Amino acid sequence: MNADLCHTGPAASLADAVFAELAHALSRLAATGEEMVVDLRSLPFGPTDLAALSERLGTGEVTCTLEVAGRSEVRETGFAGIWWVRHLGDGDEVAGEEVHVTRIPEILSSHPDDVAFAARRIADAVTASPQEGPTAADEEDISRG
Amino acid sequence: MDLLDFARGPAINVAMAVMVFGVLWRLFAILFLGKAPDRTVPRMGTPGPLGAALREIARRMVPHPTFAFAERFSFFNGWVFHVGLAVVVFGFRPHVLFIKNLTGLSWPTLPSGVVYVVGAITLVSLAAALVRRLTNPVQRFISGLDDYFSWVVTILPVITGLVAVGHVGARYETLLAIHILSIAVLLIWLPFGKLFHAFLVFVSRGTTGAFLARRGV
Amino acid sequence: MADQKTLGERLAEHGVSRRAFVKYASWLGSLMALPPATSRAMAAELAKAKRQSVIWLSFQECTGCTEAITRSKGPTLEDLIFDFISLDYHHTLQAVSGEAIEEARHAAMKENKGKYVVIVDGSVPMKDGGIYSTTAGHSNYDTLMETVKDAFAVISVGTCAAFGGIPKANPNPTGAVSIGDLVKDKPVINIPGCPPIPEAMTGTVAYLLSFGKVPELDHLGRPKAFFGENIHDRCYRRPFYERGQFARGFDDEGARNGWCLYEVGCKGPTTYNACATMKWNGGVSFPIQSGHGCLGCSEPDFWDKGGFYVPLSASIGPTAKLVGGAALAGAVAGVAAAAVARHRKSSLNKG
Ligand code: HEM
Ligand code: HEM
Ligand code: SF4
Ligand code: SF4
Repeated sequence: MNADLCHTGPAASLADAVFAELAHALSRLAATGEEMVVDLRSLPFGPTDLAALSERLGTGEVTCTLEVAGRSEVRETGFAGIWWVRHLGDGDEVAGEEVHVTRIPEILSSHPDDVAFAARRIADAVTASPQEGPTAADEEDISRG
Repeated sequence: MDLLDFARGPAINVAMAVMVFGVLWRLFAILFLGKAPDRTVPRMGTPGPLGAALREIARRMVPHPTFAFAERFSFFNGWVFHVGLAVVVFGFRPHVLFIKNLTGLSWPTLPSGVVYVVGAITLVSLAAALVRRLTNPVQRFISGLDDYFSWVVTILPVITGLVAVGHVGARYETLLAIHILSIAVLLIWLPFGKLFHAFLVFVSRGTTGAFLARRGV
Repeated sequence: MADQKTLGERLAEHGVSRRAFVKYASWLGSLMALPPATSRAMAAELAKAKRQSVIWLSFQECTGCTEAITRSKGPTLEDLIFDFISLDYHHTLQAVSGEAIEEARHAAMKENKGKYVVIVDGSVPMKDGGIYSTTAGHSNYDTLMETVKDAFAVISVGTCAAFGGIPKANPNPTGAVSIGDLVKDKPVINIPGCPPIPEAMTGTVAYLLSFGKVPELDHLGRPKAFFGENIHDRCYRRPFYERGQFARGFDDEGARNGWCLYEVGCKGPTTYNACATMKWNGGVSFPIQSGHGCLGCSEPDFWDKGGFYVPLSASIGPTAKLVGGAALAGAVAGVAAAAVARHRKSSLNKG
């Protein structure tokens, strides 16, 4: 993918080059369903490049905040199928920043194994007496996530 | 101990010791040799030996007008690479820090980028000196192994220095170690071959000047 | 102790979904410059993996490496590693002591034969039968060799384990050697540094766990993903080096202007580590950014390279003595040669 970026020549800024690359990727997604991820941290991006790319991509309808091992933010851009994903680590430092070309970023959908586990839990909840609700221990577990 | 430690430790230390030993040995052996007393009477109106020596040194900085045209390349090129070497060796911060660490002496230096450019010019100029030596029939005829070897040990530190900063071909530490080893070779050879001209040119030219002046030449 | 649950199941029990693996893998993949497809595979593998049994041996060391890896502020991304491994033996972090801890080690070795990872910090003393450092009555050498026998891989954490480090510094009174000097029949991964960057340690463990193989190593056994780049080449002060602007001290004008630290001893040009790119404490800063030159702590024998505040280009060793001696000898030899020549000449003249 980096090799492709070089074709745009030195005149275009890096943000423009990535933008053009995303355009290709999005047409591939539309035609064949092929997905792509750009790891923005692996590119020699300065803050201005990031801001420029973010601005050109714009904002779509979906903005999510995840609490999974620290915070993560997922935003649909102005182009359906292009998502901006930002992972935060210790002390809200940016631990990862990616642009996904996909119908839905993997991190948003529930993992099949999690679904299976949840199905067992909810079945237990159904058989248990209805007034009890979630236990204190459950809440503690959830807040840890 | 890796190669760089070896180069920076034993290799360069021994090389410097050999160089200093050789230089002092040869210089003292010549300077204390003494001269047979000259019983002739100096010509009237000639400058004293010191003045004559300095005059000769200055005079030989440029070729005699008769040969100025024929010698223009050697003259110009010789200045280019000698000044280039001096700039690279004494104008680059890491080099000066090497000297400072040994002697305590330090002076302002040039931006590294300037040194790289001067280094490249020096390289080309030294290469041109070899081409000249090989293509000029007279020079070729009078050149011996010493001349070629001296040329090689002079150009090697320049090549290896540039290669090291350019990270060409190997890891930086390895390239740097090779740079230092090439300098060690240069230092060791310095007192024993034609490179000793660095110490003797002014001595020999001065002596010649003083001698000839006495004769009124 | 390792059990049969997958990491996904374990996290789920703590109320953490498998999204954590996606996030972890994308973080680590970015740090290690893995292709996005590989990061994805990593997430899937991690979710399916069993907890990795880890036996941590501490020999001649200062516990700084353990401090570094455990400096945690809360349940965040970087700490997930502690959910991925089962630390079956660790002097400092273990609750039990005495016989029980040695039993735990043996039990882990038996149960996870061929699969457990041994992490070592500290070097091994070999002089005088290795008596300078022992645990439970065994020399470090014996403990190491016994423990690595059935290991899958060995990770030498810290410069002491990787290269001998400070215990091996001149004059090396205990005859300290590195783990790689002793363990020859297992893969040994070196994560040097004093201490190493925590992400380099945890990242390597996570890589082993996900892919079951050793990451690509350089000629000193260091993962290229973390030790592939030279500090000097990635240093933000590099433009000052090229312009010839050097700080001459730690409080002069150059230092205040953030100029290059070469002259005050920076070893960046010959040091390979991720400090300049990954930085420390989750990306806050790194030594050069704080105004101190690089010590070269991830390189072998960094302690004996002529001094932390001596410029890199200085020669090392007894240069002055050697050259002074040579000068004297040269002068004497020269004068003697001249005297001999004079004598010969005058006797020729007479004769
Ligand atoms: C004050 C010091 C020096 C003076 C005055 C000096 C002078 C000279 C002169 C007059 C020549 C003959 C020029 C020619 O062929 O056109 C020469 C040649 C040369 N010098 Fe020097 N030199 C000095 C120092 C050095 C040093 C330190 C080096 C090397 C480290 C060096 C390397 C050479 C070489 C390699 C040649 C031969 C070039 C060729 O192949 O034509 N010189 N020098
Ligand atoms: C364009 C040519 C050259 C370049 C770019 C160059 C570059 C370098 C560099 C970058 C170092 C740094 C060492 C470090 O960081 O440890 C160095 C060291 C050194 N260079 Fe050069 N050099 C060049 C030519 C020369 C020449 C011609 C000489 C001597 C004849 C020389 C003598 C030295 C010495 C004595 C050292 C110190 C050795 C040490 O690092 O311990 N260099 N050079
Ligand atoms: S490498 Fe440094 S921090 Fe780690 S144990 Fe050795 S001395 Fe301590
Ligand atoms: S501070 Fe050190 S690593 Fe940075 S440019 Fe200067 S010498 Fe290189």
